[in-house]
Amino acid sequence: MTDLLQQSTSLWNVSMFIVAAVVLLLVVLFFVTYAIYFERKVIGWMQLRTGPNRVGPLGLLQTVVDVTKLLLKEDTRPKDADKALYALAPVLAYAPAFAVLAVMPFSETIQFADLGIGVLYYMALSSITVLGVITAGWASNNKYSLIGGMRSAAQMISYEVPLVMSVLGVILMTGSMNLREIVEAQRDIWNVIPQILGFCVFIVAAQAELNRTPFDLPEAESELVAGYHVEYSGFRFAMFMLAEYVYMFGMGSLVTILFLGGWLAPFGLDFLPIPGIVWFILKFLLYVFFQFWIRATMPRFRADQLLPFAWKGLLPIALVNILITAVVISFQNGTL
Amino acid sequence: MSGTFAAFFILSLMTIGGAVFMISFTRVVHMVVSLGVTFISIAGLFILLDAEFVAVSQILVYSGAISILMLFGIMLTKHNAVEDEGSKGVNRFFAFLIVAVFFGLCFYGIQNTIWPEPAQTAPNAPSNVEQIGTEVFTKFVIPFELLSVLLLVALVGAIIMAKKESDSE
Repeated sequence: MTDLLQQSTSLWNVSMFIVAAVVLLLVVLFFVTYAIYFERKVIGWMQLRTGPNRVGPLGLLQTVVDVTKLLLKEDTRPKDADKALYALAPVLAYAPAFAVLAVMPFSETIQFADLGIGVLYYMALSSITVLGVITAGWASNNKYSLIGGMRSAAQMISYEVPLVMSVLGVILMTGSMNLREIVEAQRDIWNVIPQILGFCVFIVAAQAELNRTPFDLPEAESELVAGYHVEYSGFRFAMFMLAEYVYMFGMGSLVTILFLGGWLAPFGLDFLPIPGIVWFILKFLLYVFFQFWIRATMPRFRADQLLPFAWKGLLPIALVNILITAVVISFQNGTL
Repeated sequence: MSGTFAAFFILSLMTIGGAVFMISFTRVVHMVVSLGVTFISIAGLFILLDAEFVAVSQILVYSGAISILMLFGIMLTKHNAVEDEGSKGVNRFFAFLIVAVFFGLCFYGIQNTIWPEPAQTAPNAPSNVEQIGTEVFTKFVIPFELLSVLLLVALVGAIIMAKKESDSE
């Protein structure tokens, strides 16, 4: 895959790029379909219900039917909405979500681009989504979606700071921002143990970045008139939902790579003939399950407590984590 | 035609197109979105020059700035505010004249500059972040520190100004 990028451009390798991207898109769509199904199932079980079980065997086709319904719905648009931006906003929200997957090393061999600054690439691209959110809120020409868009923008910009800060500890320990090197540096011990403080901050900030419980204020239709996507329906609404779940895919991969040792086997199980991608998928699914678990457990944050928590709670902890990591590393290097 | 050339062509088209639309649009939010297109395309141009770190910083800094700019644009202007068509006639002629002279000067300057041979970099070096970091913390450490102090002053100043306003209310 990486060799392909170094060749000179020809029809053959351009079409290979397209095929590879489409395959990744199909994998992601499959993941999203069944993530939604399992989300409903798992939450159902935790609340002593059965969850979806009518469409197809065990309800396996439930999401497929739901998505079909969304796609067949009439595409409504408020009369005075800004036509161009109303159409552009879902694209702005979704495109970076898919683009961040380009740097993820899913195993030793499966990776699209091996960037030296993989971590920063993720952080930079994911911040473009905020633009899509504000655009959606403004273009709908509805005061509730505008307020919702502002709220989401404040949330995503604020929580991005502790998210980046918590990763700095990992970067300090590895001495590189390349995702592949970060995984290789975890051969002895996964980053989650020495970086437990950074890991906790990262997990909390990631919940807020993903707009998931307990920070799912854009979905708080009962108390806050939902958020930036109130006016959206049908296909465009599906794009926003898809972006959210694709971000879950991206964030799951990132957590696995940064803190859980990527494709490396756990507990010294290296001798087993299991390919790295299987370990990766297992760790990744653990994170996804954690999302559903949280959603079934936690109540929602109050909007006025949201930002103080990021600035007064998470950010100082992340800074302390950087300080501790830096001191320990300089002590080990004998420069202190 | 190599892929780099095609990418350069598309990206420069988007950069210039975004800038032109930024000027010709009449609503604030439209302008900000087209400005965003320009900034992101510039980041793409940096990637073509193997300056990944600069490209990512470009996106990280400017897409955040664009979001904030858009928020201010929304909050400080009327929802349906449309800019006037702009001046006509004589003013337009002089504006065109000045721009044409400026273009001519720039073009002449660029054509007559002898560019130094680009420094050879290792092909596909894994990361130029390390080199940038080393340079910043050894050779350019004083400018770096001065910049940090400047940013700190700006930060503290902003806090003090915001604080005063809330006290007086």
